[in-house]
Amino acid sequence: MKVLLIEDEKELSSSITEYLQRENYLCEAVLTYEDAIEKINLYQYDCIIVDINLPDGSGLNVIRALKQLKSETGIIIISAKNSLDDKVDGLGIGADDYLTKPFHLPELNARVKSIIRRRNFGGINEILFNDIRVLPENMEVTVNNHLLVLTKKEYDLLIFFLSNRDRVVTKEAIAEHLWGDEMDMADSFDFIYTHIKNLRKKIMEKGGEDYIRTIYGMGYKFTDSAV
Amino acid sequence: MKLLTRTSRYYLIISIVAYILSGLIFYRLLDNIFAKQLDGTLSEEKMLIEETINYADSVPDFRSVFGHMIDITILNSPQHKVEYIRDTLMYDGERGSFETFRHLFAENTSIQGKGYTINIYKPLRDTEKLIAEIVIAVALLFIGLLVLLVLVNYFIARRVWIPFYRTINSLTHYQINQDKPLTLTKTDIYEFNHPNEALEKMSKKIRQDYINLKEFNENAAHELLTPVAIIKSKLELLIQRENLDEQQLRMISAVFEATNRMSKLNQGLLLISKIDNNQFDKTEEIDLAQIFDKTLEHFEEMSEHLGIVVSKNYLHPAKLTMNPILAEILITNLVSNAIRHNLPSGRIEIELSESSFTVSNTGQPLKTDPSQLFERFRKSENNPESVGLGLAIVQKIINLYRMNVTYTYHDGIHTLKISY
Repeated sequence: MKVLLIEDEKELSSSITEYLQRENYLCEAVLTYEDAIEKINLYQYDCIIVDINLPDGSGLNVIRALKQLKSETGIIIISAKNSLDDKVDGLGIGADDYLTKPFHLPELNARVKSIIRRRNFGGINEILFNDIRVLPENMEVTVNNHLLVLTKKEYDLLIFFLSNRDRVVTKEAIAEHLWGDEMDMADSFDFIYTHIKNLRKKIMEKGGEDYIRTIYGMGYKFTDSAV
Repeated sequence: MKLLTRTSRYYLIISIVAYILSGLIFYRLLDNIFAKQLDGTLSEEKMLIEETINYADSVPDFRSVFGHMIDITILNSPQHKVEYIRDTLMYDGERGSFETFRHLFAENTSIQGKGYTINIYKPLRDTEKLIAEIVIAVALLFIGLLVLLVLVNYFIARRVWIPFYRTINSLTHYQINQDKPLTLTKTDIYEFNHPNEALEKMSKKIRQDYINLKEFNENAAHELLTPVAIIKSKLELLIQRENLDEQQLRMISAVFEATNRMSKLNQGLLLISKIDNNQFDKTEEIDLAQIFDKTLEHFEEMSEHLGIVVSKNYLHPAKLTMNPILAEILITNLVSNAIRHNLPSGRIEIELSESSFTVSNTGQPLKTDPSQLFERFRKSENNPESVGLGLAIVQKIINLYRMNVTYTYHDGIHTLKISY
């Protein structure tokens, strides 16, 4: 999988690249509009992550250039908070998703995965993790071939975990993923706990293993290896 | 009270008092002059009578000469020489009533050693009538003059003060965040032009400071976005390290939380400065009921978790023309505020009516001054995690659309009422 990151802030760019590379993506990063145009003209990518505000141009024009090339690449816009116009324009000209800065890396990762999954027309669209199997198109989850009945939030949580397997995801990242960023209340962490408890219980009821580890007041990790 | 009313009133009062006083003095003077003249006439007549008596050595009929009451009596014995003039009340046969007369009485000894008395009476009616006529004429003149002066004064003052009221009007309607600097109409009157210039200069300076401050706020908030994003991303990478011990993780967790708060704070400030800068200028008709429904659904899980019962009462469809994002932020902040400051198993009531909507919630009474409720960084002790910008943002949005918000606390229920 090839991902192109167009982000002018070097440190942010290196963080994103590092996080995505651990997913075994081939992640290339460029800092300017000009480099971005050069890259998209030379190579094919599965997903492009583009910042709107570039020093030498607008990320929106990168998207327009991609569309002109009849590219099938998935596009995620990352932009400053509350720039609704960017969001409307971006999605209007064919971007697949929009993420406001600052965002959590697991969130970006989950969105990239979701897009790549959706673009993967050839193969079967499914997520596998040991005994867990998810068919995102039908929102169907099975554990050891037993159908798992989950609430919307539990399902979202499971997908989020599966997208960020073997990673520590913070409570804040989970809260924002499930409820958006208006829920900046301490109480939302209680719900996360409730949802995780329920999810864990449901998986184990169907004979699945307990993959969710708690990381000291920080968050959770979905993994099949011991912490 | 208007300055003009006050000056006119003073002017009127002082003029009336002055006119009454001068009228009284005038009357006394007039009265005096006429009395002196009358007394002079009486004395002259008396002298004429005496001369005639002395010359003719008899008492002729003076009545036919002077045409009024003269009474001369010859006395048998000589008397002292006495003379006085005074007012007296007598029956006037002609008119059939008592009238005031000026009465001259003289006693003398010259008719062959015999004494005589002279009484001359002149009616005062005529002079009194004359005085009354003069006084009335003068009074009418005075009143006319007074009315004219007051009117002239009023209209001149009104005309002269026009630039002043114009300035006041411009100042009242001036808002520091509008596009243009304050401009006041020029006049040719120094007393008005001078303060106008001073005001313009001052408002220009204040406006410049305001713009600088606003720009600084926006730049500061905007420039903080990237560092915060970098910190967050690096921390997220850091916690992926396998060899972190519990203590290290706890420290990172604390940094994480602090960064998140900083991030929220920053976003809030950026939002406020964007509202200030009118960056949400696209408006459309929004349906409050729809936004409330959406927001309540969003918070459903949380309110259920806290056992809060939400009741909606949409009495009237409430459609407002405003920016959809701001409308959503407004409602979200109000609802989240009502949840945050609620009691366990409390209530939230939402009511929409024609000209206002209210969000009420059960809760502890405020510990701080309600007037500070909408200030930035006001937060209750119960929620140390809160950034303290929610209601400040509510206030900003409400001000932007010239709506009005009032807070009341009654029977353990906080109510925020937004009127539009």
